[in-house]
Amino acid sequence: MADAVIVVALLLVALSATAAVAVRDPARQALVLSVLGLVLAVLFTVLQAPDVALSQLAVGSALTPLLLLLAVHKVRRRGKKEGHHR
Amino acid sequence: MNGWILAAAVVLGGGVGATVWGVATGPLRRRVVAQNLCTAFACPALLLLSQGYDRPSYVDLALVLALLGPVGTLVFARLLADELAADPPSAWGLTYAAAAVGAVVVPALCVATGPSRAMAKLLVVGALLIGGNLLASRALSGAFPEVRRG
Amino acid sequence: MNARTTLLASAELLGWWAALAVLWLVFISTVDTLELAVGAGVACLGALAARAARRAVTGR
Repeated sequence: MADAVIVVALLLVALSATAAVAVRDPARQALVLSVLGLVLAVLFTVLQAPDVALSQLAVGSALTPLLLLLAVHKVRRRGKKEGHHR
Repeated sequence: MNGWILAAAVVLGGGVGATVWGVATGPLRRRVVAQNLCTAFACPALLLLSQGYDRPSYVDLALVLALLGPVGTLVFARLLADELAADPPSAWGLTYAAAAVGAVVVPALCVATGPSRAMAKLLVVGALLIGGNLLASRALSGAFPEVRRG
Repeated sequence: MNARTTLLASAELLGWWAALAVLWLVFISTVDTLELAVGAGVACLGALAARAARRAVTGR
């Protein structure tokens, strides 16, 4: 009956992964990806893989959204600069 | 299957499920609050799982999450500062509710663990969780001008 | 750099070291000599970093 928590974790991963694909704007997608990373870490814990969950937490909760948002920032700023020159 | 794992399943299904829905729909204001609160719900769930599976090493996961979760929210508060300044999020009711979940789970686990270094570790994780949650919420609602200016 | 500032600096470093060493003792699972040695060393590095961070944040 510990399967109930595994089912809950799998459902959460499925829902947040679908949401990550469905959200189009990169800034909002970064928010969903942060939650997806966390939910994946919970899934790994529930499947008795705490080392993998630790690595997932370290990477997915702060690093991935940071990289994504920094890339969006740079692209938007360059687009704005070229727009002014025109 | 014991009560701890059941409680963890309830906190995950209800709390983190609600934050998944909140981060996928609605205005930006609601999404950042949901991202902040998913840490506040997942950390007690991890502590409950650690007790339920009888593996004290899983508390390290909750510790790392309690430290890195607010850092992630601060990243969003800094890099989305312009869009949030126009429409600042203020969901203090939800924030205090999430803090209350942590405040209920941590003493219950401390009682189950009994006085020892493990209980001190649980208390440190609880303090980091609640402190980080409140700090990140304040940063989101624009209380730190250094975060806005950068 | 006179005697007073050295004294204050070393007192602050000692305080940080003590706090971090206590935190280390709380976090580890089994207490043996190797853990204590590692904890003492890491707490030294942490104390240096913490003092530098505090001075950077308070603008001193």
